[in-house]
Amino acid sequence: MEQRAVPTQYAAGHGDPKKDAGSGTTCTGEVNGERTAATASSSPPPHPRTASSFSSSSSSAVTEGWREERTRSVEDNEMSRPGLTAAYRTILSGLGEDPQRQGLLKTPLRAATAMQFFTKGYQEKIIDVLNDAIFDEDHDEMVIVKDIDMFSMCEHHLVPIFGRVHIGYLPNKRVLGLSKLARIVEIYSRRLQVQERLTKQIAVAITEALKPAGVGVVIEATHMCMVMRGVQKMNSKTVTSTMLGVFREDAKTRDEFLTLIRS
Amino acid sequence: MEYRTASDTNGKHVAEYQNGFNADLHVQEEEEGGRAGETETRSKLSTIQRAYSTVLTELGEDVDREGLLRTPLRAAKAMQFLTKGYHETTQEILNDAIFDENHDEMVIVKDIDLFSLCEHHLVPFFGKVHIAYLPNKKVVGLSKLARIVEIYSRRLQVQERLSKQIATAISEALEPAGVAVVIEATHMCMVMRGVQKMNSKTVTSVMLGTFQEDPKTREEFLSLIRKN
Repeated sequence: MEQRAVPTQYAAGHGDPKKDAGSGTTCTGEVNGERTAATASSSPPPHPRTASSFSSSSSSAVTEGWREERTRSVEDNEMSRPGLTAAYRTILSGLGEDPQRQGLLKTPLRAATAMQFFTKGYQEKIIDVLNDAIFDEDHDEMVIVKDIDMFSMCEHHLVPIFGRVHIGYLPNKRVLGLSKLARIVEIYSRRLQVQERLTKQIAVAITEALKPAGVGVVIEATHMCMVMRGVQKMNSKTVTSTMLGVFREDAKTRDEFLTLIRS
Repeated sequence: MEYRTASDTNGKHVAEYQNGFNADLHVQEEEEGGRAGETETRSKLSTIQRAYSTVLTELGEDVDREGLLRTPLRAAKAMQFLTKGYHETTQEILNDAIFDENHDEMVIVKDIDLFSLCEHHLVPFFGKVHIAYLPNKKVVGLSKLARIVEIYSRRLQVQERLSKQIATAISEALEPAGVAVVIEATHMCMVMRGVQKMNSKTVTSVMLGTFQEDPKTREEFLSLIRKN
C-alpha cells in the first residue's frame, strides 16, 4: 500500500483508529452522501483518503462515501462553463425574458460563473485547507469561534441559504489555526447543501483533523426558499446543531458552549 | 425593449381596458387562451427543468442522488415563481380599489418587504420599500401599493429600474400630486460572491411631482420613514 503523508497527519500517534474522540455517534451513514460525479472532461477523480484509511469496518465504507471530498478542478470549471452558459440562456428564454436585451446580454455567463463560485466547495479538500495549521499545545479548555458568516445553496431549490456558524471544541493537546475553522465551514457550505448535513460535515471534519475531546457546531440560518417563495415566512430561522464527544455526553460542557455562543 | 416602463408592460391589457371591451367576450377568449396557455406553460417548465438538470451536471453534482432527484423541477418552479411579475399587470391587481376621497395629505406605506432577482447574476436581492404619495382626490387601497411592488419586484431586475417602475405605475394609476419611492436592499451578488461585503446596502429613490419640487415635502417623507 502506498504510504500517503496525508492520513498520518490526522492519525498520528493515536492508538485506536476507531474514533477515539469518543464520538460513537458520528457518521452512521444515514445521511445521504454526495457522490463524486465524473465530469464530462475528467477521468474518474481520485478518492482522497482523509482520515478514513485506518477504519476498515464495513460501516466506514458507507461513511466514506458520505464524507467523500470532491475534486472538481479549475480546468473542469472552464470546460463546463459553455454548457452552463447555454443552460442559463435557455432558462432566461423559458422564463419569458429577452436574452438579447442589454441588461441580459452577458447574464448567462455571469450566472454560470456565479453558480460555480457558489459551489466551489467541490473544488477544495480539507487537507489542503488545513495547511498544517495544527499545533501541539497543552490546552484542554474550550475554544469557540462564533458568528462565522455562512453562505450556502439549498440543494432542493437552488436558492441561497445564509446564516451564522458557531463552532466549539475541546482540544486534546492539539489546536487548530482559528481561521481554519472558518475555512472548513467554507468548503462544506459552498456546495448544494441541506443544513443538517452541513452541520454534521463540519463537525466530523474537525473531529477527524484534530481528534479533540469533543466538538460542537451550531448553525442558525435563513433559507431563501422559505422566505422568497413557498410559505414566505420572512423572519423564520432554522437552527441545527451537532454535538460530538464530550459535548454530547456532558450536559454541563454543552451548556457552557451554548451560553457562550449566545452572549 | 431594454427599459420596461410601466405602460410598456401593461401593453395589451391596458388597450383592452381602455377600449371598454365586452366582458363576456373577454371571458370566452380567456378560457380558450387559458387552455393553450396551460400547455405552453408546462412545456416552458420542462425546458427550464432540462436546463437546470444540465446546470447540476455541469457543476459536477450527481443528479441521481436522492436529494437532487427532483431539484430541476423544484428549481424551475421556484424560478417561475420568482419571475411571476412578468405575467401580472397593474390594471389587474388594482382591482378597481381606487376611491374618491377628499384627502390631500401624505400617505405613506413603509417597510414593505421586497424580494427580487438581480438580472446580472440571477441571485436574489431583498430589502424594504417605502412608498409615499400625495393624493389628488383619489386614494388607493393600501395593500395595492404592496401588490404593485410585488409585480415589479418578481422579475429580473436592476434596483434603479425597479424603483422607477413602482413610482411610475402609481403615478399613472392615481395621478397624484406626487409620488416617492425609496428602496433599501441587500444584494446577495455582492454579499455571497464578488466583493463579499456582508453589511452593504444599496439605497435608491425616485421622487416625482411635489416630492421632487418641494424640498420640505421630501424632507417630511424622509424623516417619517427613518427608523427611530
